[in-house]
Amino acid sequence: MSDDRPKWQLEFPYRWDQDDAVTRRQLLRFTVYTSGALFAGTSVIAALSYLRAPAMGPRVAIAREDELRDGEARYFTYPEGEQAVLVRTRSGELVAYSQQCTHLSCAVVYQGEANRFFCPCHDGAFDVASGVPIAGPPRRPLPRIRLERAGGVVYAVGMES
Amino acid sequence: MRTPRIADDPVRAWEGPVLTTALALGLVLMAIQLWLLTVALDLLLGGKSEGFLRLAAASGAVFAGGLLVLRLLSARPRMHDEG
Repeated sequence: MSDDRPKWQLEFPYRWDQDDAVTRRQLLRFTVYTSGALFAGTSVIAALSYLRAPAMGPRVAIAREDELRDGEARYFTYPEGEQAVLVRTRSGELVAYSQQCTHLSCAVVYQGEANRFFCPCHDGAFDVASGVPIAGPPRRPLPRIRLERAGGVVYAVGMES
Repeated sequence: MRTPRIADDPVRAWEGPVLTTALALGLVLMAIQLWLLTVALDLLLGGKSEGFLRLAAASGAVFAGGLLVLRLLSARPRMHDEG
């Protein structure tokens, strides 16, 4: 009796009737379960955002109010060893940010002549007045430090959310 | 007793393409859910405190729709579309 099957089927016999095929219903069920997992993940993130502790921190004196002229900066640590920078903008407003770049956490430096914070690792740049990224790979603004003034002294009192 | 075939019931012959379309749509919606999740994570890491409820509600609506489709399908017997 001759076997008219192609040669490859003789060398690699395959029993289709024993194949464990996935039906559309099974795939749909798996898709819905994955959808549920994604919904749970989004819900957990939403819950975390509401449970997050208020961003109040220790009150630390960082400079005298008249110590910085327009366009000057002062580096300090806040809170507990984290590098930060206080700047008096060209318009005379005092602002403070964490120095940690929101791209890959390199320390940004203040460039007064260019009126920006610059990250030397990947040429990222941030606006001084708002902290928002204006060049390079960073997409999120620099974490801003809340300031208070009392008795001619500028205090860092927490991170803004 | 053999499983009924689609060819035996012309009224249900349209179910195969509809189910395939629903499955493709479900996969697209799941990709949108993944995008919603990344947006929520981006907002959280960016220190934002608004917009999370809308993202979770949209993701939940997609999930609820999927559950509804599963429930509707489970109420109907499976039919073979092959010979």
